[in-house]
Amino acid sequence: MRIGVDTGGTFTDVVLVDEESGRIVTTKTPSTPANPADGFMAGVHKVLEAHAGFRALDAVSALVHGTTVATNQLLEDRPDGTSHLGFVTTEGFEFVLEIARQSVPDGYGNSYFWVKPPRIVPVHRVRTVGGRLDHLGREVRPFDEEQAADVARWFRERGVTAVGVCFLHSYANPEHERRMRAVLEREHPEAVVSLSSDVLREYREYERSVTTLVDAAVKPIMRRYIDNLSERLGRPFSVMKSNGGVLSAAEVVHQPITTVLSGPAAGALGAALIASTAGHPGVITLDGGGTSTDVAVVVDGEPSLTTEGSIGRYPCKIPMIDIVTVGAGGGSIAWTSPEGTLKVGPRSAGADPGPICYGRGGTEVTVTDAHVFLGRVPPHLLGGEIPLDVAAARAGVEELAGRLGLTPERCATGILEISAFNQSNAIRQITVQRGLDVRDFPMVAFGGSGPLLACRLIDILGLRAAIVPPDPGNVSAFGLLTVDVKNDYVRTYVARDPSPEVVAGILAGLEAEAAAALDREGFAGHVYARSADLRYYGQAYEVRVPAPDGPVDAAWLAVVAERFHAEHERLYGYGYRDDPRHAVEWVNLRVSGIGPITRPKIAHRPLQEDEPSPVATRDVFFEQWARTVIYRRADLGAGAVVRGPAVIEEYGSTLPVHPGFTATMDDYGNLVVVSDDR
Amino acid sequence: MTGRTADPVLVEIVEGTLASVEQEVETAIARTARSPMIRDAHDFRAGIHDVRLRKLTGRSYSALVQPVVRDFPIETMRPGDVFFHNDVYLSEGGIGHLPDLCVTVPVFHGGEVVAFVQAFGHHDDIGGAVPGSMPSHARSAFEEGLMVPPIKLWDQGVPNRAALTIMTRNSRMPDSLAGDLDAECSACLMGARRLGELFDRYGREAVEACFDAIIGKTTETFRRELLAKIPEGVHVWEDYAEHDGVDEPRLHAQRITLTVDHAADTPLTIDFTGTSPQAKGPINHAGDYADGVFLKKWLAPILRNLADTPERMAELDVNEGVVPLIKMVFPEKGTLLTPIFPAPTNARTFVILRLLGVLAGVLAKATGGRMPADQETIRYTGVYGESDDGPYLMREVLGGGSGGRWYADGEDTIHVVPDSRNIPVEFAEARWPFRVERLGLAVDSGGPGEFRGGLGYDKHIRMLRDASFMSIADRSILSCWGVNGGRAGRRFQVTVDGVEMEGLVDDFPVRAGQVIRIRTTGGGGWGSPYDRPVEKVAADVRDGKVSFEGAREDYGVVLTGDRDDVVVDVEATERLRERLRETRPAAFFDRGPGYPKLSGGLPHAEVDTL
Repeated sequence: MRIGVDTGGTFTDVVLVDEESGRIVTTKTPSTPANPADGFMAGVHKVLEAHAGFRALDAVSALVHGTTVATNQLLEDRPDGTSHLGFVTTEGFEFVLEIARQSVPDGYGNSYFWVKPPRIVPVHRVRTVGGRLDHLGREVRPFDEEQAADVARWFRERGVTAVGVCFLHSYANPEHERRMRAVLEREHPEAVVSLSSDVLREYREYERSVTTLVDAAVKPIMRRYIDNLSERLGRPFSVMKSNGGVLSAAEVVHQPITTVLSGPAAGALGAALIASTAGHPGVITLDGGGTSTDVAVVVDGEPSLTTEGSIGRYPCKIPMIDIVTVGAGGGSIAWTSPEGTLKVGPRSAGADPGPICYGRGGTEVTVTDAHVFLGRVPPHLLGGEIPLDVAAARAGVEELAGRLGLTPERCATGILEISAFNQSNAIRQITVQRGLDVRDFPMVAFGGSGPLLACRLIDILGLRAAIVPPDPGNVSAFGLLTVDVKNDYVRTYVARDPSPEVVAGILAGLEAEAAAALDREGFAGHVYARSADLRYYGQAYEVRVPAPDGPVDAAWLAVVAERFHAEHERLYGYGYRDDPRHAVEWVNLRVSGIGPITRPKIAHRPLQEDEPSPVATRDVFFEQWARTVIYRRADLGAGAVVRGPAVIEEYGSTLPVHPGFTATMDDYGNLVVVSDDR
Repeated sequence: MTGRTADPVLVEIVEGTLASVEQEVETAIARTARSPMIRDAHDFRAGIHDVRLRKLTGRSYSALVQPVVRDFPIETMRPGDVFFHNDVYLSEGGIGHLPDLCVTVPVFHGGEVVAFVQAFGHHDDIGGAVPGSMPSHARSAFEEGLMVPPIKLWDQGVPNRAALTIMTRNSRMPDSLAGDLDAECSACLMGARRLGELFDRYGREAVEACFDAIIGKTTETFRRELLAKIPEGVHVWEDYAEHDGVDEPRLHAQRITLTVDHAADTPLTIDFTGTSPQAKGPINHAGDYADGVFLKKWLAPILRNLADTPERMAELDVNEGVVPLIKMVFPEKGTLLTPIFPAPTNARTFVILRLLGVLAGVLAKATGGRMPADQETIRYTGVYGESDDGPYLMREVLGGGSGGRWYADGEDTIHVVPDSRNIPVEFAEARWPFRVERLGLAVDSGGPGEFRGGLGYDKHIRMLRDASFMSIADRSILSCWGVNGGRAGRRFQVTVDGVEMEGLVDDFPVRAGQVIRIRTTGGGGWGSPYDRPVEKVAADVRDGKVSFEGAREDYGVVLTGDRDDVVVDVEATERLRERLRETRPAAFFDRGPGYPKLSGGLPHAEVDTL
């Protein structure tokens, strides 16, 4: 048995896969933010009882955990989030965080009124140490041990217990940083330390500094949390990483930054496996929640990765699944701007007070209220456990419509239209901006609110189809069980005429590091995936391409360069393959060490014997009010066809099938929605 | 406005699509560009204009389509055409200097042009007297590089190789010029396809009704929410560029007489009469074309500072909707703003950047100080010479501190151009033969005030090989002004091994081992520094932003101890502040110690008092 536990803001989702029988069991428990381990334990016990009737963990072969414990500390901007944090950098550079990249976000002229948000470490907790390397890692001035000891004692005296260290050019030579760590261990042993050369061995000092500090900031809280959970479980477990791999809990405490966005990553991975099983290796994944929607792209069964993500306002240059998040979810609030136009989100009513129809004091119309008013979702939640106040939703929509001079129906469909457009712009960002044509991809819609606007998104973006998996609310927890162990290693090597020997040496070093980590995790079969970042000389951004296995020689270099030309052409519409004036420059070499697991099998759905029969009818507004048939998803078998207008309901989610659309259940229980026009 | 009414839902959708297309075009350019001015300083912009040549997007300034349609009637345009120009005097005021190369792509729907996607960017080199095409001592446009009036660079999808060859042949950096033009053309063509899809989906009439609504909304919001805050009447102020690269430093006045009449159809009149004669050197800006439509959109963002909160200021877009609110009156030909061809213009930032501050100052005067103090964030500094890879040019745009505001201190080392970035030291040292010994903040550079001005850079560059230093900078004599009792920030200053440079330098020799020290401008202060809470001054000293001496002399705050343990002498501070308060500032604006040097000893300008 393998168990996945995804701790979210509101609910802890749990999925159990019985490897022998292939049975999959899902459940939910409330999250417990004060001590997330409580919700975790409750969820594990609940799923075990549901499956086996007892709580013992003996038969569990693997436990994988997705968590935002570390991230929330930074995202919530709590004053205590980083008050324990200090920073050591090169003499002369104490203001590196204040200066950042000198950029003011957004519009021209905003520099007159922009207020810079607080830095991750205020300048009075930044200390500098003498010693200087050049860009090839050669020592220009020796490391100043004495100053280093003063700095360590200064932090100790002021109760700074987490320290990030980033010296200039340490990506080329980690020697000075390692000596700084040794001094800190000697003078201030209680401190946890993060070195930039461990966290991100890549040039650009500001971004590397912040990434290192995020790692240092979350280290103490992750350690406490992991220790606490290990003790209560009494057995090892793994944690999901933002790069789409997992890592044993024992290793995670050494590099907690790699887990910061693990929840959304698990969703994309789960959706990727479900889609490729059903015959769709390339999809867009859309995870709709209460406050936001996460979108990712899957190509050849793998979600794409980025190293240009951020955690809240902090840039984090570690590899993570490329996810674009928009503030568009079920709880997004509709409002009128001072200019008198209708806006939706990004502010959300959240779970508390929630939408008007929850009847818990919410007074602002949300996306969910619009759905309820139009009859597109049932007048209750979770299969009837929570009733919804339809009349209150209607009153709210009518009031808003009055202010805008619209009919209530036009107002409600307008709210949904704008929400769908916000989602579609996120999808465009992650496809068009990456050089992908959105029309080449079906979309997997999941999460509580993901399937609701599927038909609108098909229409707006010209998508081939939308795929709604069974139990859309549990896809993230399921994703945890589909993941290999994966560690990433990088070295910057800037060269226009790279030496095969040097490249081979660096790759061998990275692969040795990867092998050591996989050995520690107990993997016999290792897989190494190489990649390289290249650019045309003079550009400031690189394009990443996969690099072949095998010995590194001139032909190997040529293959990588060729892949770069092709990828640049694909992304930006032009390249310089046969133009010697535009030299190719190598920048980073990367290796991912992968320890593969056996992925869960998704069972076949029994065939639909007869015409599916609706369970009820309800007045629903699509283009006009009409009596509309309602289906229960559990009643549908493989091959069942539902033509819109119709609504398909299940425990945690609803799929409105608009007029002109058809939903068909595939062999694995997914509902595949297509437009009748295509 | 037309009689068509727009669906409010569709308006929101169209507005979102315009913003995301603009963003996509800019992202594509930024990621593939080579010129540091585009790649790092983000000195490039995309803009979307409708077929009536109205700018629809709001985040950014952009050039104009007017010169393209003047020379190429819309009905003669074909899908796949790409237009190009950089000729300042034939740009209708949309292009300020020759390195700004502008690409324009028409958007088609049903066989007709319905909109334009445009991008312009500051390229490395387009020829002329010096590397980088910004000769600070130029006396004519012919020294500044290759001038290209509007031409068809691509004809129905086929690039005009002859034109490209001529342009690259005239550049010292032909490869990056060619690469950057490819980036801009490809990005604009992509944007044009995206915009075409919007028209296909909703139909021309509905989309154009939305354009009217988007523009009309801006007009109404600016009128109701911002202009209403300016008292009616006539308000006058001026500020100065200090040198033009040819004549001895002097006050080159730029003057605005602002007339406000809320009942009028055009409530704001901005009259530049009183602006100094055109300079012999390159600080002129050719602004008096097309009724000043470029300058109206360039200056209007300053009005946003009148909104109630910084959050609200950030929400307000500046599109063509500001144009009907502003009338511009230009002086006769032959001034800084109305130069006569071929007057040189490459350092026209001295005028158009300064004009932002002149408008802010005249509004500060009109509103009793409810505007930010001054900032100066664009100057070019660099080194060039030979490295192992051949000739190189490292030229960067270092920002400065912003001015204090009625609600906050100014910010350190920021930049007026959105997303403009400094060059990472680890990138620079791998590419060019120097070592950055310090990248910090210039202590005491922020203008003292109740709300302190932000700090400028303190950057130390040690050359590892002989090289030439260049700089194009104003505010090396005059300072960023403080307002309402706030004091001026520190000026821009460069030394090479202790030898002070002027603001305009084409080629000062620097020997290997010598250190170039660059301090950029601090922002002006807002409100009396003696009203700044003592604990904020103590924190500034702890953080290294204000020195112990600065605390005493600029703020009247007496501190003891060291930076790790700053102790306030409360009694001495009270006594000192009481004494200092007795000498009240003579004027509403403080221009710093450089002003009397250029004014013949006058402590402040006539227009500086309320």
